[in-house]
Amino acid sequence: MLQVDNLTAAYGQVSVLHGISLKVQKGQVVTLIGSNGAGKTTTMRAISGMLAPTAGSIRLGDQDITGLPAHRISRLGVAHSPEGRRVFPTQSVRDNLLLGAFSRLTFGGRKRGDVEGDLERSLDLFPRLRERRDQLAGTLSGGEQQMLAMARALMLQPDVLLLDEPSMGLAPILVEEVFAIIRRLKETGITMLLVEQFAGAALAVADYGYVMENGRISVEGPALQLQNDPKVRAAYLGGGHA
Amino acid sequence: MAILLQLLLSGIALGMIYAVIAFGYQSTFATSGTLNFGQGEALMLGALVGLSLAGTISGGPYLNYWVMIPPVLIFGALQGIVVERVAVRPAIKTRSEFGWIMSTIALGIIFRNVAENVWGRDDLPFPSPLPTEPLHFLGASVLPMELLVVVGALLMMVGVEVFNRRSIYGKAVVATASDRDAAGLMGINTSLVITFSYALSSMTAAFAGVLIAPVTLTGASMGTALGLKAFAVAIIGGLNSGLGVVVGGILLGVAETTTGFYVSTGYKDVPGLVLLLLVLSVKPSGLFGKTTIKKV
Ligand SMILES: Nc1ncnc2c1ncn2[C@@H]1O[C@H](COP(=O)(O)OP(=O)(O)OP(=O)(O)O)[C@@H](O)[C@H]1O
Ligand SMILES: [Mg+2]
Repeated sequence: MLQVDNLTAAYGQVSVLHGISLKVQKGQVVTLIGSNGAGKTTTMRAISGMLAPTAGSIRLGDQDITGLPAHRISRLGVAHSPEGRRVFPTQSVRDNLLLGAFSRLTFGGRKRGDVEGDLERSLDLFPRLRERRDQLAGTLSGGEQQMLAMARALMLQPDVLLLDEPSMGLAPILVEEVFAIIRRLKETGITMLLVEQFAGAALAVADYGYVMENGRISVEGPALQLQNDPKVRAAYLGGGHA
Repeated sequence: MAILLQLLLSGIALGMIYAVIAFGYQSTFATSGTLNFGQGEALMLGALVGLSLAGTISGGPYLNYWVMIPPVLIFGALQGIVVERVAVRPAIKTRSEFGWIMSTIALGIIFRNVAENVWGRDDLPFPSPLPTEPLHFLGASVLPMELLVVVGALLMMVGVEVFNRRSIYGKAVVATASDRDAAGLMGINTSLVITFSYALSSMTAAFAGVLIAPVTLTGASMGTALGLKAFAVAIIGGLNSGLGVVVGGILLGVAETTTGFYVSTGYKDVPGLVLLLLVLSVKPSGLFGKTTIKKV
């Protein structure tokens, strides 16, 4: 479904990704883990078009999407719930969700389908948002904003969902809730690339995993295998550089 | 008392024109962080194109005043697109932080020169579509055209606000204004949104031009002072507050008419500038300027 080959990316002159290759198959949940500054967010940003890669290729299905602007990649079916939530603070929860479906509601976009029905279903999935549907997103708590960012990304009915640290800054009970939702999404057969600081929990829901270090993939394998890899365990229990 | 009321009413009419132009400054600033310093020239071009269509200067009138408005709005929108493509987009692309200031000023000067060559340097009369007989109201007299200015300006602003709140395209504009990268992730073509906001801003200015032309002097130099004062209004009211520009516009308009009458017309531009300096030193984000809510 999504295939990244030898991707390199830079911020200005500073090169950050040095040849990343990864693959997410249809219906799979794949996780990307690694210490702070490893380049996980940058990889996500390059895939969704927020940052133009300097070399390498990104394919979505049989289409080459390398270097396309973000709005075109979104229209091709990649939804990205970015690091730091990035909800639209001056607009209501409902408007944020409708904006998630922008490509479906407008001319030349994705298949429209039942946007109102999807909105109802996402409010079912995130009941905290239902009570607050008319509240401005900027007045939600951090946890609620995170739920909104995920729900908004789902409104695209994406072929591939990119989730960047959906548990960032959340209380333990909410982290549990987020992972429960990820498991439910997985049951619906969604294709997902998940970046998480809770590597253990991420590997537990994922089918496959990649470990990133300093802009490179250092280890990859089926999630179960990574969970038992002593080097991975050491790095994510001790936080050192295995 | 009647005189004060008179000054208030004239001040409000003038202030609403400032507000409409300031509204245009806001619309491009919100989406792109840039302004069209040729906004006054957009107003002037709108008025002169309107005059060519509805006036007698070029063998017309070809259209009556009301029918002339839609083509002028379209002309304004196209002129805004030219400004964005020629003066702003290159600066945004190269991430030149201040390039757009010089280039929009330069383009404004070019537009003024073109207008001088096409329509001449002299002020031209603009036929009024409404009776020029003033209405009397508690001892004050109001031109019907002044009422039209206020109503038209309000309608324009309310119309844009409704578009922003109700339609998915308007919501996309607001989203682009609050977080351009995130808006791109929603599938919104944000550079198109910026082009659109320039079209909108010049369109509102052109509209202000045909509203004010019948009650003022119409000519190539009519826009410069208006554009500058509206800029002051946008700063006084706050670059991100719709209510702010209406209040700021009226404040400035009334300050000008009262100073002009009680002090001297020679000083009528002073209060606005004093107001501007005061606001900048006390509340730099403008009287109604919001500091955005951000949660970490
Ligand atoms: N906007 C930016 N400008 C310059 N350098 C950046 C920018 N964003 C990230 N970097 C640098 O790129 C590197 C990778 O950052 P990235 O955000 O991709 O890491 P990450 O793996 O997502 O980390 P974290 O777990 O902290 O979110 C870091 O060294 C960071 O300092
Ligand atoms: Mg990150």
